[in-house]
Amino acid sequence: MTTQTIQPAAATAGWDIRRVPGIGGLALGGIAAVLILLWVGSDGYKQTLVTSAATYALIALGMYVPYLMAGSLSMAYSAYAGIGGYAVGLVSSKTGLPLAVAWLVGPIVAALLAVLLGLVTRRLSGFFLAAVTLLFGMAFTAFLIDAEALSGGSGGLGNLRPLNLFGWTPSHYQVVLGSAVIVCVIAFLLDRLRLSPWGVIVRTMRDAPRAVEAAGVRVPVLNLVALALGAAIAAVGGGLFTYSAGSITPDTFTLNIVFLAIFMPLIGGAGTPWGAVAGAVIAVELTLNFPAIQTSGTLLLALGVLAIMLVAPRGVVGYADKLRTRTWALLRKEPDRG
Amino acid sequence: MTDLQLWLSAVEMGCFFGMLALAYYLIHVGAGFFNFAIGPYAMMGGLCTSWLVITYDLGVWPAAAAAVAVTVVLAAVTELGVVRPVQRRSGGGELPALVAVAAVLFAIQQLAGYVFGYPTLPGQSLATFDPVTVGEVTVQPSSLLMIVVALLSFALSAVWIRSTRTGRLLRAVGDSNRAAALLGLPVNRIRLIAFVLAGLVAALAGILFAPKAGVNSLSGLAWSLSGFLAVVVGGTGSVWAPLFGGMLLGLVEVFLPYYFGGQAHVYGMLFIALLFFAFKPQGLFVRTVRA
Repeated sequence: MTTQTIQPAAATAGWDIRRVPGIGGLALGGIAAVLILLWVGSDGYKQTLVTSAATYALIALGMYVPYLMAGSLSMAYSAYAGIGGYAVGLVSSKTGLPLAVAWLVGPIVAALLAVLLGLVTRRLSGFFLAAVTLLFGMAFTAFLIDAEALSGGSGGLGNLRPLNLFGWTPSHYQVVLGSAVIVCVIAFLLDRLRLSPWGVIVRTMRDAPRAVEAAGVRVPVLNLVALALGAAIAAVGGGLFTYSAGSITPDTFTLNIVFLAIFMPLIGGAGTPWGAVAGAVIAVELTLNFPAIQTSGTLLLALGVLAIMLVAPRGVVGYADKLRTRTWALLRKEPDRG
Repeated sequence: MTDLQLWLSAVEMGCFFGMLALAYYLIHVGAGFFNFAIGPYAMMGGLCTSWLVITYDLGVWPAAAAAVAVTVVLAAVTELGVVRPVQRRSGGGELPALVAVAAVLFAIQQLAGYVFGYPTLPGQSLATFDPVTVGEVTVQPSSLLMIVVALLSFALSAVWIRSTRTGRLLRAVGDSNRAAALLGLPVNRIRLIAFVLAGLVAALAGILFAPKAGVNSLSGLAWSLSGFLAVVVGGTGSVWAPLFGGMLLGLVEVFLPYYFGGQAHVYGMLFIALLFFAFKPQGLFVRTVRA
């Protein structure tokens, strides 16, 4: 879709990698990921931090499309991540299929459920949508505890089989590496999606739904697609976390994570999906890896979110971008003056 | 459904939900949006009272007074420090206010957990007389107090909104912020009064309900949702509508688990929410305006 914008450049000056949309974000994100992975090394605890951050990032990225692009705050993401997690648990314990199938089934089931919930709530927005989806998340947790035959009740599912991809079993470090790669790839693709014609329509729909409807686009269908996409991404994250943790219970994905996932893009910056990733890294750093004030890390995060919302609505990535443009302008001006 | 003791329990639950819904209603009338932090306000009231009594051996009444004061301050800070600046910048969009309120909700939960600790604390009963027996029903002093205070706060709110100057100003400001500002009405002051009153009602509800099942720092979210549902079911047409919605939810909360097992009320709540939001989002009682 976006190839149209780079075609003139390709025709005149050959294919230039710098003109691929979203490549700058990918480069920066990739560099950050490599630095984080170098910092982690073979430390088991730090590896757990990375998989947690990747899971948070995937849930926040899942919410990115409906919440920041389409402008409707659905909060059922604990359920979608839970479906991804339980898909891994169920495929491992109840079937003989290869475990990789879970990452196919989980996101599809989550997307279907999101479409179903989206159809039921298609006339709701704002506070009403938030309330219904929160209640749905609670009901899903209750269902997981009740349906003991399927989900193992409050004890959950454990003893997962190791992943086996065509005879190759990745080590723990390779799983950590893979989760970082998945986050980077999905953030890059979402960044591309944001800039694509489809993304522009979805973002216009947030600001002027009637204009989009009048232009012949089916707004409800667009909303459903956005919800399904988000749910599928969150389910991938849920599956990833379950696999690296080795078990899943109804308490693995709580409403707390949903709240954190709403705040992550605000911390990192709502302008680009990479902001959600940056926010996830900061959130994990504050809540799990802050030894001095361990118990109050989440409180610090909540207060930080309030402060950011009031003082710096564009978040960390927005600020960094502003700093970059200012520096460039300064560097370019310097020779003129001299 | 012939067990009168269960009915009493449902009425008590209904009064609690009704008071939460009244707090929602006050802010909705005055500021035109739903403040999801109502549940955490109630949690703050209950938890702070219990904590003061248990940790500092304070009397129940001074502890309750301190907790109410803390909650009212929190409510005022919500309006002055968060909602007002965010709404001013976003120009009346619904999503920024919603996200801001969600952040407040989360922050109050974490603050309460940090200060008061995460375990569930037993509630402190304000009334200490012996349980009253009426026929085959035993009325606990805390239940009686809950029902009396709920009815009182509804009656006072009704009188206040209908016949005092400030109450009428509240409705004027809520109907149209802009028109009220053009008329030179003190919009900001009235909104602040609405928030403070809502904080007061919510704190009282939390303190009075805490003896029933105890309170912990995470109780607030479920209470927020129940209160919101009660105000949606009841509608905003009359001051008493939230109480009616609360009673309906109280019946669901008590009788569904009794007949269908422990978690049935969660499914029931979701079902009611879907039903009402889809078919009657304006609630049961709607103010009819003559053409």
